[in-house]
Amino acid sequence: MRIDRYARIEDYALVGDGRTAALVARDGSVDWLCLPNFDSPSVFAAMLDAERGGAFELRPIGPFESRQRYLRATNVLETTFTTPTGTMRVVDALTLPTPALPPMRELVRRIDVPSGFVRVRWRVAPRFDYGRASARWERRQRMLVASWGGEAVALSAWNAGEAVLSGGDAAGEVELHAGERALLAMSAAYAEPLVDSPRRDVERRLAYTVRFWRRWTAERGYDGPWRDAVLRSALVLKQLIFSPSGASVAAPTTSLPEWIGGARNWDYRFCWIRDSNFLIDALLQLGCYDEAHSLFWWFMHATALTEPTLHVLYRLDGGPGIAECELPLEGYRGSRPVRVGNSAVDQLQLDIYGGLFETAWLYSEGHHSLDRDTGAVLARVADRVCGIWRCPDSGIWEVRNGPFHFTHSKAMCWAALDRAVRLAERGELPDRHIDRWRREAAAIVDFIETRCWSDALRSYTRVAGSHDVDASLLMLPTIRFPNPQRLADTVDAVNRLLRAGDFVYRYHADDGVPGGEGCFVNCSFWLVSALARTGRVADATSLMDRLVARANSVGLYSEEIDPAAGAFLGNFPQALVHLALIEAAVAVKARS
Amino acid sequence: MSVFWSSFGGGFVGTIVMTTMLRGAAEFGLTRMDLPFLLGTAVTDNRRKAKAVGYVFHFLIGIAFALAYGAFFASIGRSSWWLGALIAVAQTFFTATVLVNVLLPVVHPRMGTPETAANEIALIEPPGFLMLNYGRNTFLITLLAHVAYGAIVGWAVRV
Repeated sequence: MRIDRYARIEDYALVGDGRTAALVARDGSVDWLCLPNFDSPSVFAAMLDAERGGAFELRPIGPFESRQRYLRATNVLETTFTTPTGTMRVVDALTLPTPALPPMRELVRRIDVPSGFVRVRWRVAPRFDYGRASARWERRQRMLVASWGGEAVALSAWNAGEAVLSGGDAAGEVELHAGERALLAMSAAYAEPLVDSPRRDVERRLAYTVRFWRRWTAERGYDGPWRDAVLRSALVLKQLIFSPSGASVAAPTTSLPEWIGGARNWDYRFCWIRDSNFLIDALLQLGCYDEAHSLFWWFMHATALTEPTLHVLYRLDGGPGIAECELPLEGYRGSRPVRVGNSAVDQLQLDIYGGLFETAWLYSEGHHSLDRDTGAVLARVADRVCGIWRCPDSGIWEVRNGPFHFTHSKAMCWAALDRAVRLAERGELPDRHIDRWRREAAAIVDFIETRCWSDALRSYTRVAGSHDVDASLLMLPTIRFPNPQRLADTVDAVNRLLRAGDFVYRYHADDGVPGGEGCFVNCSFWLVSALARTGRVADATSLMDRLVARANSVGLYSEEIDPAAGAFLGNFPQALVHLALIEAAVAVKARS
Repeated sequence: MSVFWSSFGGGFVGTIVMTTMLRGAAEFGLTRMDLPFLLGTAVTDNRRKAKAVGYVFHFLIGIAFALAYGAFFASIGRSSWWLGALIAVAQTFFTATVLVNVLLPVVHPRMGTPETAANEIALIEPPGFLMLNYGRNTFLITLLAHVAYGAIVGWAVRV
C-alpha cells in the first residue's frame, strides 16, 4: 500500500474544520496537519518526510484491507479495516466547536468494531515546526501532553489501551471485540491553556460536526448532472475556506511534487486572487451567499494595502509578505526541495486584474451592490490596467523564465476593462474614465486579434507571435471574449495539441523550471466547459463523465495527474480543480 | 475654563487629529486599520452606513476618553501635554493587545476570532496581536495617532 514508506497521494482523504485540515491515509495514518491554522508549521508531516515529519498512526495489527468514504454529505471520514478476525471502523473528524468549552482545535478518532475482534495499535508522534522540533510527552492528570514553545497538543484516550511513552512518541495497543468502542482525541492549543474535555463532550462535538455538515450540504442549491461530484467539491471548498478571515487556501499542503523526484514543489497554503474569482462564482452557483459575501469583504480588505496594484496571492490574514524558503525535509518520495512561502507573490501577473473585476461583476450580479468606496477602488484599479496591460508578465502559470506577452493575460485585462465599463454603466463605479476604459479594451482586442492569432494553427497562441498553444486559452469562452469563431477554433487546437487521453497539458514550452510535470486536472475541466460553451455539449458530457470517474475513492483531486500511470501529483486536494469541476458541470447543465 | 469643558474641547480636537492621521495612513497604504469601519460594522453590514455610524461612535469614544483623562488630571492636580501623551501610550498598548485584539472580536457580531470555524461566517478578519493582521505598520501608526491625541488632551485640560 505504501511506496518507499509513502502512501500514494490518491490514497488520502481530507478532514477539516475551516481553520486547518488533516490528511488521512487509507492505512489510517494522519500524515499531514498544521496547527493551529492552514498556514502554521506542521505537527504531522510524514507526507514530506516519513522519518522526521511526524504522524498519528492507527491501524490493526497484522494484515488488513481498508477502504475510505465520507459519512453521507459530511466532511467526516470513515475508514473500514477488514482483517482475518474482524472488521474495524475508524471515524475521523476535526470537530467544530459547541457551547461546552471546546479545545482550540481537536482531531477525534473514534474506533468501532462491528464484528469479530481486532487488535489495534496507535502511535502519536508530533513533530513541531515542520519536524525541526521534537517534543517529549508528559503525563498530566488524564491527558498526555507534548509541547514546544507556545504550542501544545494533548491526547486523551478512552478504552484504547495503556499509553506507553517513549521520547517523542505515545503509543498503545488494545483488543476490541464486537460492539466495543474506543476513542482518541488530540486537542491543540496555541498561546493558551489546553482544554481537558470529558468523553461526553468529545462525542457530542463529533455528533454535532456530522449534523452541521449534513445541514450545510442540504442547503446547497445545485440540482443537475454529476450532483454527487459537485456537492463533494462544495464540501472540499468549504473546508478550504479559512473561517476567521473568509479567505481560501489554494490547497492545504505544501510541496507535494508535480513529478516524483522533481523540483516543482510549491506551497499552496495562501489565497490566490484568481482563485477567489472562481470561488465567488461557485459559491453563488451553490447558494452559499454568506460565504461569497465574506470572501468579497476579505478580498477588498486584503487588497487595501496594495491597491491599485494587486499582489498575486495574499496570506490568509490578508498580509502580502510571503517569503519563500526551503525546509530540511526529505520531500515526498525524495522530491526536494520542500518549500514554505511562495515567491510568486512578487511576479506581475496581469490576469488577476481580470479576476478582480470578474469577481466584482459576479458579486454585483448576485444582488450585492458595491459601496462607494469599493467602486472608487475598482475605478483606480481599472485606470491601472489601462497603464500596464501592454507590459509583459509571468502569466497564469507563474513561469519563471518570463516575462512574455501572454494572450490569456491580455484577454483578462480586456475582461477587467469590459466589466469596469459595465459596472460604471450600472452606476456601481465612478464613470469619469469610462471612455478611456472603452478605448483601451478595444486596443487589447486589436492586439490579440493581430498579434496573438496563428493562421497556421488556426488558434490564438500562447504568447504574442509564438507558434504554440496554452490551456489557459480555454478560459476565453468563459470570459466571453468577443470572437466566437476563433474561440471555437482555439478550443479545437488545444484539444488537438495538448490533450493526453482525458487530460490536458498546460503547454509544451519551456517555463524556466527544471523537471517534468503531469497534466493539470483543472485544464481538463476547463476543456469540458469550453466545449460546452462552444456548442459541443455531447463531447463535453462524455469527457466530464470520464473525469468524474477519475477522482479518488472519496471524490477528491490533486493538482495534477500522470496521464500514463493515473497517479495523482501535486498539492492535494486542490481548490482550483474542484472549482473547475463545478464550473464545468454548470456550463454543461446550462446548455443541455 | 472648567475641567469638563477643557477636556471636552481637547477630546474633540484630539479625536479629529487622531482620525485624520489614521485615515491618512490608510489612504497612503500603510495600514488597513479603519477604526470607524470596525466600530460601525458592529451595528450594520452596509459598508457605507457602517463608516458613518462608526465615525459618530469614534468621536463619542474619543470625547469620553478625554473626560476620563480630565478626571485623572484633576485627581492628581496637574496636567501637561507629555503626561497626556504618556497615558495615551499606555492606552494604545492596552487597546492593541487586549481591547481590539481580544475583546472586540468577542463582542463584534461580524468579526472572526481565531476560534471561528466552518460553522460560522465572519465578514471581518480579526486584528491579531498588536493589530498586525491589518498591516505591519498598524501598531506604530495607531501609537503615533494616540500619542497626538493624548498630547492635545493633556495640553488642553485646565485643572
